[in-house]
Amino acid sequence: MKIFRSKFLLYLVLVLSIGTLAHADSTADLKATAAKAPTTADLQQGDPGGTLTGTINDVPVSDPKAGLTLGDVANQVGQNKIGINFTWTLVCGFLVMFMQAGFAMVEAGLCRVKNANHTYMMNFSVYACGLFAYWIIGFAIQMGGSAGNGNLGGLQPLSGEHALSIFGKTWGIFGEKGLFLSGHTYDVGVMVIFLFQMVFMDTALTIVTGACAERWKFLTFCVSSVLMGAFTYPIFANWAWGGGWLAQLGNNVGLGKGYSDFAGSGVVHAVGGLTALAVALIIGPRIGKFNRDGSSNPIIGHDISAVLIGCFILAFGWFGFNPGSTLGASAAGCLRIGSVAVNTMLAGCTGTFGAMIYMWALKGKPDASMSGNGLLAGLVAITAPSGFVNTVGAAIIGAIAGVLVCLSVSFVENRLKVDDPVGAISVHGACGLWGVLSVGLFADGKSNYGGSWNGVTGSVTGLFYGDASQLVAQLIGIATLVGFVFTFSFVLNWVLDIILGHRVSAESEVAGLDLPEMGQLGYPEFVFTPEPAYLGAAERAAAVA
Amino acid sequence: MAANKQQGFSFGLFLLGLTAACAGVSCFSIGIGKVILLLGIVVLLASLWQFFKIKPLEGKIALGSQPAGMKLVGVVVTLLGWVVVLFGLHLTPNVGGRMVAAIVGLIVSLVGVLVILPSACNKNAIWKA
Repeated sequence: MKIFRSKFLLYLVLVLSIGTLAHADSTADLKATAAKAPTTADLQQGDPGGTLTGTINDVPVSDPKAGLTLGDVANQVGQNKIGINFTWTLVCGFLVMFMQAGFAMVEAGLCRVKNANHTYMMNFSVYACGLFAYWIIGFAIQMGGSAGNGNLGGLQPLSGEHALSIFGKTWGIFGEKGLFLSGHTYDVGVMVIFLFQMVFMDTALTIVTGACAERWKFLTFCVSSVLMGAFTYPIFANWAWGGGWLAQLGNNVGLGKGYSDFAGSGVVHAVGGLTALAVALIIGPRIGKFNRDGSSNPIIGHDISAVLIGCFILAFGWFGFNPGSTLGASAAGCLRIGSVAVNTMLAGCTGTFGAMIYMWALKGKPDASMSGNGLLAGLVAITAPSGFVNTVGAAIIGAIAGVLVCLSVSFVENRLKVDDPVGAISVHGACGLWGVLSVGLFADGKSNYGGSWNGVTGSVTGLFYGDASQLVAQLIGIATLVGFVFTFSFVLNWVLDIILGHRVSAESEVAGLDLPEMGQLGYPEFVFTPEPAYLGAAERAAAVA
Repeated sequence: MAANKQQGFSFGLFLLGLTAACAGVSCFSIGIGKVILLLGIVVLLASLWQFFKIKPLEGKIALGSQPAGMKLVGVVVTLLGWVVVLFGLHLTPNVGGRMVAAIVGLIVSLVGVLVILPSACNKNAIWKA
């Protein structure tokens, strides 16, 4: 026993000595490096090559008496990681905010001149309506219980998720922390995630304006948008992204990694598209859209250049939408941002081809507006799988979306007899649902965002790579979008129709909404020749020739 | 009649009421939170009443009546499909069974969304007149 005690003491002394020596070594290292760092006199000479700026002297020292320590260096490394992730997320959020301009141009370009002001104004003011609603309550419902994101410093103030206990499992329903971003949620990390999530929410809201353009009363649009930003969007977004039950399908019932939607084909685009369908059904078609026999008349937009430039603005903003959804560019798989960005580009490219070639081969012309919609369809479809698939999968997903959008536009108009001036229901609703489904098919299991997704160890893997249960989780997400979100939107807007009325008067509609609703024409100095007379004159001229 | 001052006033009241209600929820645990919430709800209801009062000023709209009963059926069928999916989660633990339940539920919902509701909304459509 005595010998054992002596050996133990000797071992302890040895370990402590080595530790002290190592510590002394590292401290000596730090001091030596600091001694070699450029002095103030060196820096006063200027640093054109950048070799003198950014050194050990820029690391904050916590205790001036002790000098620079390893702890100081480690703290700075942590700050750097969070700083990089904050900057990345915020800049991507700024790009997504700019997509509002793209949406405005696409929608106004596809509408008639007499409604240009009104259409632009809806897309302009949806930003204010959505942001305000999200600030006062929407963000709390969506993200109030989403604490635990290591990329942004933990987001610990967001620690209030209301959950139900069913069959022995806990299912998140909505959050409660973060109303007005006040109290403990007045936090640097929370501000970053608020901005990023808010611009996504606004994208969903703006989608509805396209489907209901040229006859939506501005007042009802405002109220409907506020309520969508406060309740409709945040509820589903909580279930998918805020720690809610859809994301917990993996943990609770073993369905893959739970409902997985990397950047929001379902959360943003399908919610927007399905709400657009709900309101378009209630509001009815534009005067002159359908004939008595049910056949439809094309109502041509007034500015195709705005449409195509708007599509490019959207494509540019999508580089913030998808790659930004890593919520960081440092650690936890964030270096996949390049892969996500390339997947996004490719899907947009093949989406364009899908729509363009479909229209060219079947209708005889490479229709410009459908080609633009094809680009958007590809981008919408790749939004959910962008972080989980390879480039081949991305290209296939985009191509299918490009053809799907053409088929869907025809179905919505000719079968459902729903008037959608810009194709929002097809681009965002149909292709958004396709994007959600494609995660369950094409996710290749190669991504690694910190070793797990939705709290389940491993990578998101689809049916084609061996996991059928992921497909089931995605189908449940789709069923929730169609069965719950659509119903919620329909009932909410049905009530608004009873109280406010969605549609403008027939007189305003025929005159154009710019003057009655906005008090100002979109292009007051121009006199535009009505379309039918123009066509009539051209045909007459051709007949004479 | 289109956009007018009454609409602007009503919308302002609506935003005020919603903000007050949310502020009340935010500080519900404090005594004054309950008062603010109540005040917010009152102002919100007042705004809805204003909306309802000015609705007829819009004039004649180009929309036929949409049978409420048929719309309600469509809504119920759509929601029912979702309930079928949720129920299927607990009915069977195997992946194949859950996939079948999800697909069946989705089809039921789609009948509501793509068949019943469009039929209801277009039943008395203006273009049929």
